[in-house]
Formats: sequence, C-alpha cells, structure tokens
Amino acid sequence: MAARKASSKKAAAKKSASATFSGFRRPSGGPGARNHLAVISTMDNSNPIVRRICSLRKDLIGVNTSFGRALYDEDQNQHFRVMGHLAGHPNVGAAIVVGLEPKTSGAIAEAAVKASPWMPIEVVTVHEVGGTLKITSKALELADRLSRHLSAARREPCELGEITLGTECGGSDTTSGLVSNPVTGMVADRVIDAGGTVIFSETLEIVGAEHLLARRAADAKTRRRILACVKRTLDYAESLGVDLIGSNPTDDNIAGGLSSIEEKSLGAVKKGGTRPIVEVVGVGERPENRGTVFADAPCGGVENITSLAASGAQAIIFSTGIGNPVGHPIAPTIKVTGNPRTATHMAENIDVNLRGVMDGEISYDEAAERLLGELLEVLGGKLTTSELLGETEVTVSRATLNG
Amino acid sequence: MGRAIRMHPEDNVATVLSDVDAGQEVEVEGTGEQIRIEAGESVPFGHKIALAAIPSKRKVKKYGETIGIATSAIKPGMHVHVHNIKSSRR
Repeated sequence: MAARKASSKKAAAKKSASATFSGFRRPSGGPGARNHLAVISTMDNSNPIVRRICSLRKDLIGVNTSFGRALYDEDQNQHFRVMGHLAGHPNVGAAIVVGLEPKTSGAIAEAAVKASPWMPIEVVTVHEVGGTLKITSKALELADRLSRHLSAARREPCELGEITLGTECGGSDTTSGLVSNPVTGMVADRVIDAGGTVIFSETLEIVGAEHLLARRAADAKTRRRILACVKRTLDYAESLGVDLIGSNPTDDNIAGGLSSIEEKSLGAVKKGGTRPIVEVVGVGERPENRGTVFADAPCGGVENITSLAASGAQAIIFSTGIGNPVGHPIAPTIKVTGNPRTATHMAENIDVNLRGVMDGEISYDEAAERLLGELLEVLGGKLTTSELLGETEVTVSRATLNG
Repeated sequence: MGRAIRMHPEDNVATVLSDVDAGQEVEVEGTGEQIRIEAGESVPFGHKIALAAIPSKRKVKKYGETIGIATSAIKPGMHVHVHNIKSSRR
C-alpha cells in the first residue's frame, strides 16, 4: 500500500511537472506560443496591400479583416479593439499596421500598445507614404529590421498556468456533446487548476441552459451578465419573429437524440469545463481576472476564434463533430474530434483524433491527457494543421449582431 | 454487448454508443462504476437509456444537470426522449 501511495505521488508530481512548455517570455502579459511578425490590415480596403506585402517575405503573418470603414459607435469601438488586440497579442513579437489613413490605423496601434506596451509597432498608411508600390516598399523595409530583432528571441520554460486558452465548438454533432466537448472541458479545468484562464463563448449556444450556467457564476454581477446576454439574444430573435426556445432542439437534433434545449446547450457548454465563471467579457475584450471567463460572442467559427484570440488566447481548442477546417492565424487552433468518420474523412484538418473514446479503446482521462499533451506541444511551437495548410481566417463581428 | 456513456455520477440516463436492441445488455461507462442494464426496448445511437426508474414529473439528469422532466413513468432500460420527457423551459 505504501509503495502504491509513493508511486501515485510520483505520478502526480510527474503530471504537474509535465504541464510546462517552451514559450516566448514577454516583459508584461502572458508568454507567447509564437513570435510572429504580424502585418495587420486596418480595414477591408487595406487587405490587398497586406496580402501583397506578405507574399514578398516568408517571415510575415498577414491579418486581414472584414469591414472597418464608416463604422460608428460600438461597431467602431469593437473593430478597433479586436484588431488592436490581435496586433498586441502575446503570440506577436512585433506588428506593422497597414491602413488607408493615420487616424484609424493609429487607433488600432494605440489599442495594441495598451495591450502590450513592450511591443515594437509600426504604422504605414497610403495617405502618408503613397500608393500600393510605395507603401509595400516601406513595409518591407520595416519588416527587415523587425524580423532581425525577432529572430534573436529564444523560447524559455513556461507554465501551463500562465496561459489563456480559448475553447470553441463548431460543426457539432452527437459526438461533440459526448466526446470532444467534455474532453476539451477536462483540459480547460486542468488549465484553470494550474492557475490559468479559459475563455469560452457562443451566447446563442447557451440559450436554454443559461439558468444552469448562471449557477457557476462566482458573483452576482457575473451571474446577471450571463443572464442579460442571453436575454438580449432571445429578445433580438423575438423582434425578428423567431422563438429560439420553442424552435430548439431542431428536428435533426431530435433525430440525433437530443430531447430538450437544456440538453443541447449543456453539451455545448461542456467545452468550458466545470470551474466557477469569474467574469463575462464582450467580443475581443481582455479579461481582468484569471479563471474561467464567458465571452459574449457569436458562434460562427471564424468570428468566434477571432474574438477568443483578441481576448488574449495563446491557443484555441476547437472541438468538432462533422468537421471544419478553419483556424486562426495568431492563436494556433487545435482541431479535436470524437467522430470516427471525420477523423478519417478530414484527417489533414484534425490535430487530435479521439475516436478511441467512441470505440471504447481509450478512457476520458486518457483522451484528456492526449489533448493536453498536444496543447503543450503546440504552445511550444508544434504547428497545427490549420497553420500548415494556411487554413486561417479573421473576421470581426458587427456589434449589433453580437451573440 | 451494447455500450453507453454516463456523463456524471448523478445522472439517471446514459447515452448509447451504438444502436441497441430490446433485450440487449448494455455496459455503462464513464463514471468509473461497473453498471450493466438490459435495454427494455430498442434505443438508437446517440439516444438515452434510463438507468433507474424515473417517476412521472421527476427530473431527468444528464451532465449532472436537469435536462427535462418525465411526462410519464420511465422504467430502467427504457428509451428516454421527447415522447416521455419535456424541457423545463416550456
């Protein structure tokens, strides 16, 4: 018995000792899982210039966007916040903001500096520098200097508890609620228990289970915010004549075995783990507290991972059933599925295959260890399928359509 | 032998991992306990099987939470779905 105790103690010590990765330490904020030189497009009209700049060097990550021009009020704030937080992301070592004119480009650079005061950030605009060829040439010159600076950085040992993990589910099916979401949630709990932050979101998908989720709120303010963002979503749908509670679960959900909206939403929220919810943030906002955070963001995959990355997630676990190839350019996105067909059919887009849980070959604990192991490796530099294939995309939600 | 997963120790239903026929034995995994139950009727893949008797108007629990209320008495081994439970939100 004594020997067994000692060995289990040893195993526990090994478990916690192994929850480390090699990352890029930053003067402030969490460590980087990447050290990108990011070229940030201020708005849609600058995307072609960013694409051209990135086609001419191998060391750049382009971050293009949708919309941006002629926005006002919260739509504009949200656009600048998200793009600024992507520029000032811990996985970015230096950024070049490319835009049409200095005012909006400056607002994005300002948000980036606020998030990461240590980061070298350059701004180039068409109105100041000149047309396509001139601005491209200027950006390439800047990239040369910044890239040499970044190339001197080295990875150092970091703890799992220093990171912010984003969790998302997309292309969901029966296997999502059974395997990939609960296993993602188990890894989320490991990150929280190590002292880290986990952000999960998709307001539309908590509808029906919000009363159950609200119980996990750490305080009354967080509880009220969870209920308020669901109410806003329900009210908006009602104003369009849609009864979200009454129309869920859908016929195909019922055919798949889901009996109530609570059951459907509970399966979706499993990806957020089980720990208390300490805060609710808006699209792309940085949390003020460590712990499990709910982001009031839409459930479209690209919009959602854009929000999670802007909120500071160094990596995202993307749980999928029927599959979805997309990832984020700044926050490496780990695709995990429990669906045996997807694991084969879309093998090149899947990072972690957990079909063994469905087949009875591996336990949930073993599945969680495998997913955690992959997360640590990816944080340490292993490329994800979406990074390798360039299947990465960014889009900023319109504030009026949040949730 | 059929297989099912119980997501939480408080759950009175489990989700079957393959189509189960009436009379078939089902091994229930997921919470570390050894549980076997005989299916009282056929249960399709991804659907739920009752692990205990659930009287009418009692809570049906999955993930350790209430996912609905029984609309009729459900015997152990029976298929649990929209024909015998309803959402507590309606």
